Formats: sequence, C-alpha cells, structure tokens
Amino acid sequence: MSMNQETWLERNTFHHGAFWDLIKLVEEKEKKGLKISLCIPTLNEEKTIGKEVLILRSELMERYPLVDEFAVIDSGSEDKTLEVASNYGADVYLASDILQEVGNKRGKGENLWKAIHQLKGDIICYVDADISNIHPRFVYGLVAPLIQRDEITYVKAFYDRPLNYSSGLRPSGGGRVTEILTRPLFSLFYPELSQIIQPLSGEYAARREVLEKIPFPIGYGVETSHLLDLYELYGLETFAQTDLDRRVHRNQTTNALGKMSFGILQTFFNRLHAQGKLDQMPDLETFYRRFEVEDGNYRQLVQEVVEEERPPMIEIEGYRNRETSS
Amino acid sequence: MVTFISTTKTNYSVKLYKFTPEALLQTYMPVEQIDSETLLSGLLKEIPDRIEKIREKRDAFLTDAVLLGEIPSPTYAEDNRIRAVLDRFRENGLDNPTIDEFGNASAQLPGSDGQSSILVMAHADSVFSPEVRHEIQVGSDSITGPGIADNALGLAAMISLPRILKDLGIQLRDNLTLVANAKSLGRANLEGANGFLETMSLPARAGICVEGSTLGRLSYSGLGTLRGEITLQVPSDYDWKRFGAAGAISHLTSLVNQIREIAIPKEPKTKLVFGGLKCGSSYNTSPRQGSLRFEITSEGDEIIGQMENNLNDICEQFSAETGTQVNMEVVAKRQNCGIAFTHPLVKTTRSIMQEAGITPQVDPSTGDLNALILGGLPAVTLGLTTAENLREVNETVHLDPLYAGMAQLVTLIQAIDQGICEE
Repeated sequence: MSMNQETWLERNTFHHGAFWDLIKLVEEKEKKGLKISLCIPTLNEEKTIGKEVLILRSELMERYPLVDEFAVIDSGSEDKTLEVASNYGADVYLASDILQEVGNKRGKGENLWKAIHQLKGDIICYVDADISNIHPRFVYGLVAPLIQRDEITYVKAFYDRPLNYSSGLRPSGGGRVTEILTRPLFSLFYPELSQIIQPLSGEYAARREVLEKIPFPIGYGVETSHLLDLYELYGLETFAQTDLDRRVHRNQTTNALGKMSFGILQTFFNRLHAQGKLDQMPDLETFYRRFEVEDGNYRQLVQEVVEEERPPMIEIEGYRNRETSS
Repeated sequence: MVTFISTTKTNYSVKLYKFTPEALLQTYMPVEQIDSETLLSGLLKEIPDRIEKIREKRDAFLTDAVLLGEIPSPTYAEDNRIRAVLDRFRENGLDNPTIDEFGNASAQLPGSDGQSSILVMAHADSVFSPEVRHEIQVGSDSITGPGIADNALGLAAMISLPRILKDLGIQLRDNLTLVANAKSLGRANLEGANGFLETMSLPARAGICVEGSTLGRLSYSGLGTLRGEITLQVPSDYDWKRFGAAGAISHLTSLVNQIREIAIPKEPKTKLVFGGLKCGSSYNTSPRQGSLRFEITSEGDEIIGQMENNLNDICEQFSAETGTQVNMEVVAKRQNCGIAFTHPLVKTTRSIMQEAGITPQVDPSTGDLNALILGGLPAVTLGLTTAENLREVNETVHLDPLYAGMAQLVTLIQAIDQGICEE
C-alpha cells in the first residue's frame, strides 16, 4: 500500500460529533449550491417510520434547512407505513409508479435505484427505515463530508456495538454477516476496502454523479456492489465513513442472514468475474484485516492467517512404507 | 443561533394588534383603558384559529417530546435530559440559558417590557429507571413510550413556547421564564422547584406548571401531604421462643392493621394510602426486615400533624412490645396551599378551557404547584392531552386533543401578560 492509502483511514473517517454545527453546515451547503434529497426505502415499517419522518423532517428541514427533499419510496407495504409517513410530511412514492417503462422489481435496491430518477438532489442520502433510535446525526453525519470535501463522493455509516463496551474496547462494529463473510472476502480480494468499517450498513450518502454510473442489485447485494464498483471506477480516495455511535435495530434470524449472504456472494463473484479476478486468480492475501476503536481512534488490526496445507498422506513415503511393511 | 424575537416594539400597538386587529385600525386606544373582560373576549375569539395553527406547527413540540423522552431521566439523575433541554434553549436563541445548583435548566424569552416575568415550569424527571428501554413509537394519532405523558410531552411543550409564540405572531410584554425542573417526584420532594423559586431574581407575575396529562386538569391548590417509609428490623439477638415471636412479614401486617385503626376524619378531607410493602425473598425463610411506604393527604395541615404523631406513637409502642426496631422516616412533607377558585387566574383559565372545548377537572396537586404557590406566586397546573397506561412502559398520549391543550396554554400566557389574571 502507498503512503496515501495508509492514511486514508485517518483522513476519511469522521465522527458525527464533528458536524454538530448545523447552521454552519447549511451555510456551506448553500454556498456550494447543493441540493440534498433524503430517501427512506420501506416495506411494512409502520412501527418506526413515523418517528423517523417526524424527527428528521422537523430537525433537518424545518429547524435547519439541510435537506431539500424528503421521500419515502415503498415496495408495496401492507401496513400503515405510507399513511404514517405522509401524515408526518414525507413525499410518499410507490417504487412501481416510478419509471414504469422499465417495469417493477421487488427489493430494497430497486427503491434506491429509482430514487435517483425520482429525486432532484445533487446528493442523495439513504437511511433504512428500521432504526429505533433515530436522530438527525444519521443524516447530517453522512452528508457533511460531501458538503465539506469536494473529492469525496460516497460516505458510509458505521456504528458501535454496545455489547462489548464494558471491556473499554469497541470491536469493529460489523454485524454477523460483515464479520463472517464480507470482511474475510475483502481481506482476500480487496484488502484496501477492508478499511471500510461497516461495509453493509444501510445508511450512506452519495453524489448523483456517481450513483447514476453504477448498476444496482435489487436485493441484498446493493451495498457490496456499490463499494466494489465505485472502488473499481474511482479508488478508495473518494470514499469516506462516519461514526454515528449507536444504532438500535431489529435482530435478524440466522436463516435470514444466510439468505442475505447468498445474495452478497452472488454480487461479489459477479464482480470478481467481470474484473478478471476469477479467471486469473491473483495470489490470495494472507492478512486478515479488522478494526478496533479506542478513544475515538480507529486502528486496523492485521493478522496473518496462513492456511498451510499438508499433502494427502498417501504421497508421504514414510506412510507408504508403513503400509507395505505391515 | 436562531433568534425568534429580534426587536422590541412599542408596547401598546403591539399588544392591541395581538387580539383585535380591527380595533387597531379603528382606534388607538391604549391597552390600559380596555377592561379585562374585553381583553379576555378578544383572546377567547382567537382560540379556534390558534388550535388549527398549532396543529400545523406540531412538529415543534412532538419532535422534542420524542427526543427528550428517549433520554432516561429518573429522579436525581436527570442530568442528560436537562442538558438536552439547555441545548434547545440555546438553539432557540433564549437569554440566560443556565443549569442552576439544583440541576434545573432555565432560560428567558425577553418581553417587550421585561419588568416582570411569567414562569412556565415542567418537571424533567420520570418514574422510569434507565434499565427500562426508553423507546418511543410515533403513530398517526398517538405517541407511545415510557414517560411520554409524564412528563416528556409537558417538557417539550414548555420548550416549544418561543417558537409557537413567534409562529402565532405573539410578542409578550413580560419576560417568559422557562424552567425544566429536576428532582420533582417521590423522595425528591420538589427540591428542584423549591430551589429555583428561592433563587429566582426577576419577580414573576404568575406561574404555570405543565403536565402532559390530562387535558382538563386544573390545579390551583396544593394538597397537604406527608410521605413516609416505616422500616422494621428483627434484631440479630431476637428471642424466637418468646410469646408472639414472628418474622418481619407478620410484624409488618400487624403494624398495618394498627395504623388502619387511626381515625381518619371526613372533614377536613383526608386520605391514607399504603403505596408499597417490601419484605422477604423466599418461600420458607422468615425475613428479618421489611419496609412500608405510605402517603397521607389532607386538606387540614393540623390533621397531618396529628396523624404523624399517631404514627410515631404506634411505631414506638410496636417496637417496645415486639422487641423489633421500627423507624419511621418522613421523606416528603408539604402544607396545604392554594389560591381561591374565584381568583382571576383560575377564572380566566376556566373561561379559556371552556372556549377551547375542554371540561375543567379541579384536582388539587401534590406536585410542583405547591412550590410555586408557597413561593408566593399565583399559579395553576394544566394538562395538555388525554393519555392511557400512565406510568406503564406503554404510556400513550393522544395527538388530536393536544392542540386544544397547547392553545389553552398559549392563551393563558397571553392573558397573564395582559394583566387579566391579577386580583
């Protein structure tokens, strides 16, 4: 890794606390003439959507005009998601009504993709609908690096895991799929991307000019594909990530995570294939990369994991001699 | 910073404009020459319009009710919620945002005249411990979560007043002093409110305590109250062979029976409530200690004094007769106080409620109102909306009645400001 890449983690990792001054942020946004759209993709989220729309709209549109457009794009909820969202002032769309000529596919990625067409902003911020401790930081923490640093085009969220907090150390903050699937895969094939602490988080903000240039898997692979495709196009330097502290959301069953992993693997291998990494397999990395956060500093832990192998026993002369002598 | 009130306009034209714009055009009669009745009827006429405007601006208080309600704030540990209130006072551009030595957050919205102030107070503590998951859910017509009614909503309403007044185009003559008081409930015995009143510098014209529930609540008197805890201990050298020997549970039940023998008068109205009994932890071991919590409320301070003496005597006698240690600790004590039903503040409040379609329910308070009235302020406690499951984790407030509740609060502040509520 070059010098530049060594310090990406320090230069492009933020904490939301750095952006508390929303008046200043709104001024900077207006000075640059940027418009920001907020998009929440939904499917049956009546329990949490009301609070998200109420808090984000009143804080980030009414009190501080950081967000110019607030849309809920729905995959056909059967509960009161749309009624509640519209009651609290969100623009509500059915994904199937947008760009009807391309047809309708059902999945979160579909809603994110169609948002690019439906929404007007120069920056689009995506926030999942299932956050039960919603707070304005989930939006301003992600759009602030885009407002302040022109070279940054895509900002991912990461969170802490309060479970292990008592030890004083916070682990890298991934969910189970991140730790078991994505981080090992990135360590093997895209070691630079392993610096993204929470590659699967559903909260991110990006400039229209990059979102419109990449394909969108409609299912579980959308977050992974964004990282791989934008990395291939622009490299690590245009990414940033923001620590949003704690995020509380519902727990998924192991079965659901298996399904999610299957979708991610499809997306991943499609990219490996397209980038020629499968046909001409490079030497696999032996460094496993994960993270530690301590006192606001982010430290990458690199551990060499060499899976040495022994040949089949039958190839060992001593073994064969043992067989014949007995 | 957002400054809501940027300039101070001359008093009379502004005052007049607030309630009768036509009158401003036709005459330039100064406010002082208009009698209270005319002033009040001008205010009452605006209530239906106020309710609708407040409904449109509801985000101003609903958001804070949720954000503040999700910060645990048990009595004696309100710091985090109080700091969040202070941040809001600052963001709203108020003067003197302060946390005082008692843990209360306060700030002022300067009035055009500023010679006196109107105090609006909402307690920041809640009955829920931090272990309870403070998650609030927002539905189309209700909000649910621990402490949302008592008193996250009241707190948020108080904080929102400068924004609401600005949106309604109201400029007060008095300063509006907003207080989020800590240490109100239970054992805290109104420590926060009392402390604030003692150290308050600017004279206040009147006070309003704001509670999330219940709409229609009208308290203008504080009920004499004594809260106490009796602890009973079976000593380590207790003679279990003596006649009548027993564990703490048996002793405490006998004690409860003896206390129930105390004659409770019908007049002045008096009530004794046993609110908690803690004793034992197993099936087969006699516990050695236990405690009993109770509250006496009475319209007669002398009755409370007599009953306190009776209880002390009973405890002492019980201790001597049974060989146990019995202690009574008084954790909170308040004397009766109040303003009259016919006080202009109460009368005006009733008129406002009636106009807003709210049925007043007179209910003496055992809360912060006592601190205000004993501190010499005419004061009332108001509730903002209807609620269910009070003090349960699924405490719920209804949104539809809330806008009338807010309109009554705003109109009462205006009435006080215009001098209608004075004797």
